[in-house]
Amino acid sequence: MKSLYRFLKSIRLAVVLILLITVLSLLSTLVPQGRDDAFYQSNYPVATYRLVTLLRFERFFSSALFLIPAALFTVNLGVCAVDRFLRRARSSAAKRYGPDLVHIGLLVLIAAGLVTALARQEKDFTMAAGEQVKLTKNYSITLESFEFLKYENGSPKAWISTVNVLHDGKEEGSPFAIKVNHPLRLRGVSVYQTSWANEGTLSLKDKAGSEVTARTGQGFEDGDSFWYFADVVEDGGVREALLQEYQGQDLVSMRKVGLAGSVGPYTVAKIESRLVTGLRAVNDPGFIALVAAVILIAAGLALTFIQKKREEKT
Amino acid sequence: MIVVATIALALIALAALLQAAFLMRRENRQDPVSHWLLAAAAALLFATLVERSIRISFVAVTNTYESLVFFSAVICAVLFVLRLAMRRRGFSPFVVFGATIVCLALLMISSSPLAPKEAQPPIPALQSIWLVLHVTLAFIGESFFVVSFVAAIVFLAAKDEDRRGDMDRLMTTSIGIGYPIFTAGALIFGAIWAETAWGRWWGWDPKETWALITWLIYTAFLHTRLVKKLRGRTSAVLAIVGFAATVFTFFGVNFLLSGLHSYS
Repeated sequence: MKSLYRFLKSIRLAVVLILLITVLSLLSTLVPQGRDDAFYQSNYPVATYRLVTLLRFERFFSSALFLIPAALFTVNLGVCAVDRFLRRARSSAAKRYGPDLVHIGLLVLIAAGLVTALARQEKDFTMAAGEQVKLTKNYSITLESFEFLKYENGSPKAWISTVNVLHDGKEEGSPFAIKVNHPLRLRGVSVYQTSWANEGTLSLKDKAGSEVTARTGQGFEDGDSFWYFADVVEDGGVREALLQEYQGQDLVSMRKVGLAGSVGPYTVAKIESRLVTGLRAVNDPGFIALVAAVILIAAGLALTFIQKKREEKT
Repeated sequence: MIVVATIALALIALAALLQAAFLMRRENRQDPVSHWLLAAAAALLFATLVERSIRISFVAVTNTYESLVFFSAVICAVLFVLRLAMRRRGFSPFVVFGATIVCLALLMISSSPLAPKEAQPPIPALQSIWLVLHVTLAFIGESFFVVSFVAAIVFLAAKDEDRRGDMDRLMTTSIGIGYPIFTAGALIFGAIWAETAWGRWWGWDPKETWALITWLIYTAFLHTRLVKKLRGRTSAVLAIVGFAATVFTFFGVNFLLSGLHSYS
């Protein structure tokens, strides 16, 4: 038992594990992570493909190859932290608690990572002005407005989604502007600005009067062709639908069609577009532990530095 | 202001020439001027960044060119401060020369087509105080890693025990200062920025993984100091490998790993 304890608290073990995790992590960055099996099969020689999938290198950070050394490192760190703390408490030598705080902070950080990996939930959604989305049992938001600001050179300056927060159906506080780097934080959920889109609707009629409707990202059949509705564009104040014609997998033509324009047997009856904001709702129970870990590590590093400086002076 | 940065480049080149001339005289003493040239270069480089910051209405550390200019300015400032702080003990002229060459190389890369120089206002994801803290503190920490890297090379090349002892101390001190600053900048503020911008504080993308790899190598370095048999040569090798990882995190991930991934 004593030799196991000695092994687990060993700094040599820490160094070996740190270097092992370093080398394995390094190798993992050479393999694109999280693609589907067909990707690896078509891009690697058979032997490499087999090795990568056997070791689960394509999902390295959830594989045994990473998790086992990481778990052993966590145990080593924990035993070291306890052992250091007990030794310092018993000895009369100058007590440096900075590294202890860093070690405890790292343990809390690993715990936070585990909670996040197991329990974090995220949902992407789009909203147009006036729409309401339920976030949790108690909280909903309604989008008051969405603005897309640009710099003079045309590059994006800000995406601003102004929302009203409803708690149990009642408006809470004043409207909140969700921007990139300025999320809405509510109890149990945070909402982030992620994207925007011009959501279009295209209606077409054939000679018999039957109607076909497609939204951007969708399409419709026309004999051997499939027309994909890619976007709505404004050209000189005229609204047009951007359509791509596919035959099988091949893109054979691309065209812009305005109101009353024809596409095969169809005539365009309506083109509508509305600006929608892309938001992401995240519930991360590991976040509080992360904040605690960050504070502990920062305090530990600062304390180590201060104590070392003080010792140098004396 | 590109002209000002070019003058700074010339000053650093002149400082390197002076240092080389003194090293060739084999007197092992510092020249009396080069650190002032480095201080002037740092001031000019910071002035370049201030001017760009006013132009884009944000702290100018949001693209490769600005990051390289900032990194070079901090290295010059660190060398100047260390030279003054270590006046009595003597700051090895080999280390100053090596670090000046690293600085010169970074600034030359910044003047190459690899780093577009146009001042662009930041896109929404970059408009964050956490990003500014992330970038600036990471580079300040890495500037001390430059000193430790050169000290490690001198350590491995030196035959004289006294010099090896001096280099060992310099290596440890510079990593001792750089490590907490790098940890705060690259990892802590980086994670806070990612959480605020995208709602995830860690994503295992190659850049993040390489920042962690760099941190792990320096963590291993600090732990080798606690094991007698690992001190000296092993520590020096880790200081060199750590700096190689630092450089790879900055350049390699952008230019090489994207290449490896580009077949997808």
